[in-house]
Amino acid sequence: MESFAVFVPRLVPQKDYLAPGHRACIGCGEALALRLVMKALGRNVIVSNATGCMEIISSPFPTTSWRVPWIHTLFENAAAVASGIEAAQKIMNEKGSRTNMAKVVAMGGDGATLDIGIQALSGAWERGHDMLYVCFDNEAYMNTGIQRSSGTPFGAATTTSPAGKVSIGQSTWKKNMPSIAVAHDIPYVATACPSYPFDLMEKVNKAVATKGPSYLHVLSPCPTGWRHGGDLSVKMGRLAVETGVFPLYEVVNGKYKLTVDFPKLRPVTDYLTPQGRFRHLPKDEVERIQKGVIREYEKLKKKVEA
Amino acid sequence: MNKLVNLTIDGRKLQGEEGQTVLEVARDNGIDIPTLCYHEEIEPYGACRLCLVEVTKNNRSRLVTSCLYPIEEGLVVKTATERVISNRKMLMELLLARCQGVKVIEDMARKLGVDKPSFKPEYWEKNECILCGLCTRACAEVVGTSAISLVNRGVNREVAAPFLETAEDCIGCGSCVYICPTKCIKMEENGDTRTIVNWKATFKMQKCQKCGKNFAPVKQLEYFRKKLNLPEGFFDVCPDCR
Repeated sequence: MESFAVFVPRLVPQKDYLAPGHRACIGCGEALALRLVMKALGRNVIVSNATGCMEIISSPFPTTSWRVPWIHTLFENAAAVASGIEAAQKIMNEKGSRTNMAKVVAMGGDGATLDIGIQALSGAWERGHDMLYVCFDNEAYMNTGIQRSSGTPFGAATTTSPAGKVSIGQSTWKKNMPSIAVAHDIPYVATACPSYPFDLMEKVNKAVATKGPSYLHVLSPCPTGWRHGGDLSVKMGRLAVETGVFPLYEVVNGKYKLTVDFPKLRPVTDYLTPQGRFRHLPKDEVERIQKGVIREYEKLKKKVEA
Repeated sequence: MNKLVNLTIDGRKLQGEEGQTVLEVARDNGIDIPTLCYHEEIEPYGACRLCLVEVTKNNRSRLVTSCLYPIEEGLVVKTATERVISNRKMLMELLLARCQGVKVIEDMARKLGVDKPSFKPEYWEKNECILCGLCTRACAEVVGTSAISLVNRGVNREVAAPFLETAEDCIGCGSCVYICPTKCIKMEENGDTRTIVNWKATFKMQKCQKCGKNFAPVKQLEYFRKKLNLPEGFFDVCPDCR
């Protein structure tokens, strides 16, 4: 999809369902991802949005950026609310009081998905609701001031995993959420990144067209929390994919498929050096990250070949 | 903002801007009308006819394609009357008989309550193209090359390059591949060449001088360069490295 240039972007609908003028930071990769997701979803959708950056920036009272029906939920129950909407629609359709079935989408950040909301999300997947869950992963609790979450990668400095004399920052590896989703045996799981916009939109379309629960994990570069220049957001997303830190793949009915495959991965230092959150890392720790990335990538490749 | 026009769709009193079509107003207000040949960024054409609605004006009702019908003051539109539904089902049966095994068509048919066409199976075809004209319209309106068009009449109608030969004017941008609703236009990339199979056109790819990635067909970049009066060698490096 990425080989299409210039003319294909002109074929993407101009209409935005996330209005501009919201309060995201300069260079926010997450707002870009959200905008692309909303573009792909269109008008006929009901969104249940967990607390997080995207909720805070888009709805400062009394204004709103949302041009579609939207519900703000707590951190923990975005998936539960979405499954309720889906069930209500189904029963209304059966009784004949509503014929138009809107797409049901739940959204949350990495905190709302990987940490706090995972119980409700797991329940929704187990019950098999026909809904899409989008996780915008910026790898920490950014809107409250960069606290670590289980999505924070190894070695990253955050305010609750500070780097210093005794600590090298986050001491655990990133939780592999897509694998958890695959383990629920749901029909569609994919990872995406706003740096690959057509791929992201295509995956959203595929996910909502799938009957049953689907999960989309979107890596969203965050200049504020990752401490890189606001002009580098798109580049950081691309580097994350090209270095193998965040490989793009989709899992359709348990079958893995890589979206972009590189004959040779770039060294992980290309991705780490522009980011201030990895600035303190000594050489041996970078080496360790490189080894970890390659190990995970090989594991993924084995799953693709199987 | 244009003048606002009042109309009724399915009993709901709605407002739309002058110049909008019935389909646009309906979709803005969450009323679902099925379409196959409609695309927001391309002029409507009315090829698939699935967007039929019943319009009542001066006590006379008739079926119109909502993607082409501009809204008027006091218009009464119904999107799901018996007449509309039976017509839509017939259209869907015809499409289904033409396009056996095409997922988009089968899904749409199921949504409209058609399981299989009521014609004899010997008339069923395995054609993938539905002649919606999106590819030709995109090529003419958005790209501006008009490399392909709809040729012949009646049952022989098809999308093709001039004289059914290699598309001389095609620049290999892939807009037709992207927009095709049934995904019947195939594009292959092989090393430093790109082929659009349906138009029998092969292109050499430009290699980025910095990262070595083949990023776009040479012919397409040449087309931009001429159109925008850019200096020679402007596209030697890919957008990522620039």
